[in-house]
Amino acid sequence: MSASPVLETPSDHELASAYRAGDERAAAELVRRHAPALGRYLYSSGAAADEVEDLVQEALFRAFRRLDGWRGEASFRSWLFAIGGNVLRDEFRRRKGRHVLSLEDRDLPDRADPEADLAATETEEGLRRGIASLPRLQREVFLLRTQQGSGYTEIAAALGTTAGAARVHYHHAVKRLKELVR
Amino acid sequence: MSDCERLSDRMPEVALLRAAWSAEEAAHLASCADCRAEWDLVLAAHRLEASGPSVDPATMAAAVQHRLASERMADRRGRWGWALGGLAAAAALALVVGRGPESRQGTAPAVAVTADPLVPLPELEGLETAQLDTLLQALDGPLAGTSAPDSTTADDDVDAELEQLLATWEG
Repeated sequence: MSASPVLETPSDHELASAYRAGDERAAAELVRRHAPALGRYLYSSGAAADEVEDLVQEALFRAFRRLDGWRGEASFRSWLFAIGGNVLRDEFRRRKGRHVLSLEDRDLPDRADPEADLAATETEEGLRRGIASLPRLQREVFLLRTQQGSGYTEIAAALGTTAGAARVHYHHAVKRLKELVR
Repeated sequence: MSDCERLSDRMPEVALLRAAWSAEEAAHLASCADCRAEWDLVLAAHRLEASGPSVDPATMAAAVQHRLASERMADRRGRWGWALGGLAAAAALALVVGRGPESRQGTAPAVAVTADPLVPLPELEGLETAQLDTLLQALDGPLAGTSAPDSTTADDDVDAELEQLLATWEG
């Protein structure tokens, strides 16, 4: 009995190299891998639900245009999320300070304990408001750390800071959010 | 590093189910209100991530590829535009340079007229009037020995041929 060939999933590095060499399918695969998480990240950062798609598309477009800028110190996802943060900041500036955050069209989860669900939803919305109000580095470090589980070294590489500074930003964010969400 | 800091560092990993609390950590979490508040925050952030709007990866991939392809085409058009512009400029330059002798024919006398008085000929300054007259007569006279001999003989040949042709017509 012959063993079936093991199909290895190409790494983000390999896909990026393939795209640089002209393989369009590699770009599509990178988008499939990271676009949904990028959308959730931007939403958590305060993007309006109905603008998330446009912001994701812009971030991905920018990322592929300057793919040579990704040298692999941070993961592709962390690097992409940092670009997403820039896109969100630009959107915020374009609106001249009007906040992007919108809390519309959030369906309440249909779970067994409606009261607990409502409380959880309120906490999440309060948290989203709080996250959106944080200084940019605090916000991005907090989200990369809590939602992606990224280490400080990787976060530092993605955001162009030091691991020590990233740790300090995280603790400032936690302290601030504890006060806001309480 | 304090217990609180250690626990704080481990929270994202445990929230993402990549790790689990040890008995000691769980005991600390149960007794430390500050750590519990942070843990609640991390869990809420995790739930928030899960509750975000969904982005269809296939649609997004198509949209991004379309934008990248459009930009590449625009770049190419831009490059061709520059190349054609450069070619047009080169062609125009070549025309000007190619027509150079013709245009020089028109402009050369004017340049010569204005340039003549500026040419210094100090040798002429020392000559007497008579000597200058002699020199001028020599210049005005036939340039025997200085003209191109080939052109003279060529003219003679042409005259002879014409006479021969007329003779044949006249019979």
